[in-house]
Amino acid sequence: MADNVPEDLLEKAAIMREFGRRRAAGEPVSDELYVKHVNATNDNYSTGPESGQRIADFVLPDQKGILRSLDNLIGPNGLFLVFHRSAEW
Amino acid sequence: MLEKNGVRITAVSYDSQKVLQDFADTHGIRFPLLSDHDSTVIRTFGIFNSNMAPGLRSYGVPHPVEYLVAPDGIVIRKYFVANYQHRVTASAVALREFGTVGERAPVVTLQSGALTVEIGLSDAKAFAGQEIGLFAKFKLEPGWHVYGTPLPAEYTATSITFDDPKIIRQSFELPETRPMEIAAPGETLPVYRGSFQGVGSLLLMFPLDAGETLLLGRLNFQQCSDAVCEAPQTIRFELPLTLEPFMVAPRKKQQPKS
Repeated sequence: MADNVPEDLLEKAAIMREFGRRRAAGEPVSDELYVKHVNATNDNYSTGPESGQRIADFVLPDQKGILRSLDNLIGPNGLFLVFHRSAEW
Repeated sequence: MLEKNGVRITAVSYDSQKVLQDFADTHGIRFPLLSDHDSTVIRTFGIFNSNMAPGLRSYGVPHPVEYLVAPDGIVIRKYFVANYQHRVTASAVALREFGTVGERAPVVTLQSGALTVEIGLSDAKAFAGQEIGLFAKFKLEPGWHVYGTPLPAEYTATSITFDDPKIIRQSFELPETRPMEIAAPGETLPVYRGSFQGVGSLLLMFPLDAGETLLLGRLNFQQCSDAVCEAPQTIRFELPLTLEPFMVAPRKKQQPKS
């Protein structure tokens, strides 16, 4: 756990809300608030399967609603699989 | 560049299919954007971000991770930086994994004495917070060498560094050196001869203003032949990079109140 990160989710949420409010309003974000926000957001960072491990198979709909599984996603030399936050915000 | 190397790209988020469809249409994205709307797959991968309180719009997001997966489903390498605003570019991955760069990627050629070096980036364009790739192709005339590490203090090793506040983390690695005997019997120095290449990475800070910019770097080396050793040199260089504006999804249309 990074320094100065509250364990309580509501305290973390308060930091994230204040950061988001200032960004949205175009108000300056202090270095202290920026660091607190980054630390609260990235606390206990976990990165999933390690190199050499097999990833779990899954089935999810794509942007057109077509169900996709690993079999039809992987190319002849593999797959670059990106987990990201959101396409909306 | 990944797709030219037979590697397909897929992105996963907790967004609804509708959000992903709008995003793909707006930005002309053709590769699959998968909707893990209840974060089931995100949890299965063990990357659910448990810092988000239920009720926040960010509840359900993953810790950002990128996996390069082999055709048999085994993870070859994973890329992550511990800040959700940072991401490794696909071209940087293609450079590291396959040694390929795009035709438009910026390159500068430096020449001094017996040494010619092409230094370039994996990408011509990047977003603030992205990690881009760096490469350098060295070529020495026959009979000449430059130094690697570890090295006694009186010699200068070959290195590339960037003194640029836009870059918050950097790396540059050269291949294994060859030992070369020096005057004292049994003593050797690590050297490079002929042609060799190095690769590295540059993590851009976030946020940065969009527009054209230059990344300012330095090549340090000392070239010697079997007969003469020149003084250490520093050559400064610039690589152009276009910083893209922060990508914002289209605003939702206001729904008429019923």
